[in-house]
Amino acid sequence: MPREIDLFGVLVPGLLVIFFGGLAATALIDGLLGRLGGYRHVWHPALFRLAVLVVVFTTAALLLF
Amino acid sequence: MSDATPSAEPRPAPWLRSFAADEARAWMFVAKSLLAMYGGAWLAMQLHLEQPSTTMITVGIVMHPQSGMVLAKSFYRAIGTVAGSLAGLLLISTFPQQREVFLLGLSLWITLCASGAVLYRNFMAYGFVLAGYTAAIVALPVVGNPLAGFESAQMRVSEVLLGILVAGVVSDVVFPERLRAVLRRSAHAQFDRFFAFLRDSLAGSLPQTRMEEVNLEFVRAAVQLEDLRASVIFEDPEVRARSSHLRLLNQRYMAAATTFQSLHHLLNRLQRQGQTEVVNALTALYQPLREALTLPARARNPSGLLAQRLERFRHTLAQNVAAQRQALAQPSGSLEFATGAALLQRLAAELHDYARTDDALRAGVIRTEQERVRFHRSNDWSDIGLTGLRTFLTMTVLSVFWILSGWSFGATTMLLATVFSGLLASSPNPVSAVLKTLYGFAAGMLVAALVEFRMLPMGDSFPFLVAATLPFLLLGPYLSTRPQFVGFGSGYTISVLLNLGLRQPMLYNPEVYFNNALSQLGGLAAAAAAFMLLPGQVSLSRQLRRLRQLVATAASARLEGLVWQFETRLRDLVQQAVVHTPAGSAQSRILMAWSLAVQESGRTLIELRHDLAAGTLPDEARARTEAAIGAIDRLYRMPDSSHWQQADAAVNAAIAAMPEGPARNHLYQIHSALHDTESPLFGPLPIPVPNPTHAT
Repeated sequence: MPREIDLFGVLVPGLLVIFFGGLAATALIDGLLGRLGGYRHVWHPALFRLAVLVVVFTTAALLLF
Repeated sequence: MSDATPSAEPRPAPWLRSFAADEARAWMFVAKSLLAMYGGAWLAMQLHLEQPSTTMITVGIVMHPQSGMVLAKSFYRAIGTVAGSLAGLLLISTFPQQREVFLLGLSLWITLCASGAVLYRNFMAYGFVLAGYTAAIVALPVVGNPLAGFESAQMRVSEVLLGILVAGVVSDVVFPERLRAVLRRSAHAQFDRFFAFLRDSLAGSLPQTRMEEVNLEFVRAAVQLEDLRASVIFEDPEVRARSSHLRLLNQRYMAAATTFQSLHHLLNRLQRQGQTEVVNALTALYQPLREALTLPARARNPSGLLAQRLERFRHTLAQNVAAQRQALAQPSGSLEFATGAALLQRLAAELHDYARTDDALRAGVIRTEQERVRFHRSNDWSDIGLTGLRTFLTMTVLSVFWILSGWSFGATTMLLATVFSGLLASSPNPVSAVLKTLYGFAAGMLVAALVEFRMLPMGDSFPFLVAATLPFLLLGPYLSTRPQFVGFGSGYTISVLLNLGLRQPMLYNPEVYFNNALSQLGGLAAAAAAFMLLPGQVSLSRQLRRLRQLVATAASARLEGLVWQFETRLRDLVQQAVVHTPAGSAQSRILMAWSLAVQESGRTLIELRHDLAAGTLPDEARARTEAAIGAIDRLYRMPDSSHWQQADAAVNAAIAAMPEGPARNHLYQIHSALHDTESPLFGPLPIPVPNPTHAT
């Protein structure tokens, strides 16, 4: 994974791209969990959501970089 | 304490407890706001962003006690910021040398966005406004140095997104106050109040004024529920999963409310006509409904129980109708009776649906198969045009002033005027809202001067910055929690942060400071002037025309989903109109009277068209009915005596040609609405009627 990605002539940090990918993945997981009622077993849904984002983003960043 | 009560444990008085709870809530919000502001500023400094103050302002703007509001606002703010920055970048790169063309293009873009905002409600409108003025924020400061445009856009986007991220995380994770609870409470309150009202009003007759008040209350509840739903889906994924279920609940509520008021008016008219026998027969029919709705106090599952009872009521109703019809001696009242009975059956079915939907929601069922419905909004093109014109004129006048005066801070004036004329356009009283913000700005500006020139030079660390600004920043969020100081509080917060203008490196320049401060006040004053010169208030007759137009929609639009569209559009329109009319005034009464008339006639027309679409009617009856629908449509477009007579004749002819059945009942209902002496439509009276003739 390159450190910077060329988007229409603008150099965008690779991490930023991964971050947006992570956001999208988290939104997907979030929607799925909400639909299946998974959040009823979670103490603090918002904290859980944030934690999922952190896990997804750091995993992707560590694997790809 | 002189009051010697013998209680063992001194408990605080109720007012003290509620005061303490209220204060605790307010200070929790203050603490969270400050945490997010300073956290954002610290991160922005660590990341070497140009203006940490933008991050702080973003936090100050999106922060709200309820986390759903913050997330919804943040979402649209992010989209608006990115779109606006791109537009600003495009403008500055297209016209780097032509100042006038550039300013014209910028004005057009902002006008476009401001007009677009009128089309939407909630924070979506906010996103549009933001897309407009972000372009100005990005482009105006670099107008003399276009090459810095990209840098400016990038910095703005980074600072704002950082602020959004911090505000979102803090409000959602640190002791969140859930909007979902508010949503649940208001959905339950709506349900309970509706059924309680139904129960009480079935007991006796209801004066028309009370009906109008209650109808207004129902309209407010419906619109409020939709607005809440639109924000809560950002906070709670489970509510998002059940979002369409909630919409359906609201729709069923509106449908039942319409049917109820139609039945109520029909009974009133029969009573006035002296058809006591029919009224008594119908009263006997709905008495069991009253018993069915009377729940034991502290029922564990009220909506489930109601749903069961309503189902039983529907079964017995069919038998009772047949029995009462037999008992009815004279054949002359049979059409009236059949119409009332059909309405009652429809009401029972709709109440049953409503209770069942509510029951499923309370039980927490997530996956249900159901129809998808939308809350349709109603927009007025003149309103959109007016907002656009106001924005465009403000921008153009200030651009010309800037160019002619050569005052280098003219850009700030332009900016502030744009921002606030966009943001406050949808508030009920924009002039007073701008003025309140202006006072807040003036206060914040003095405080910021004190901090910047007297206190900040004494130290040079981040903790020192926090210590110097904290006592003054506390005040803004605290005032925002008090309804009467919302405008002042947010103006104050923005002003302190904007004027303090934390940047790297800090500047010590009183001349720039006061020039900036003056230009900000000028901008706000310009926005207030624009609202005074071009007020957004739509006249009553225009609102009534739009309301009556809904009957035309009911008479001619595509039938699929039309009931939902009609019901929601009507509520949205009434809600919009009500914001601009003083409560309890003659205007508001006319408005409510018309809305009830439109509600009944429009809904009945739709039902009638459904009967026609079923396609089992004889040709002559069908042709006559279509003619009657057209005549009613014309009457509502232009209510006068000749149209009224035509409509009356057409409806009578259709009734004569129609065999017995639901279509005939619906036609009779329209006939009865036409002859309602309390309806604003009645007789050859011209519109608007200042005071409908009223039997008191």
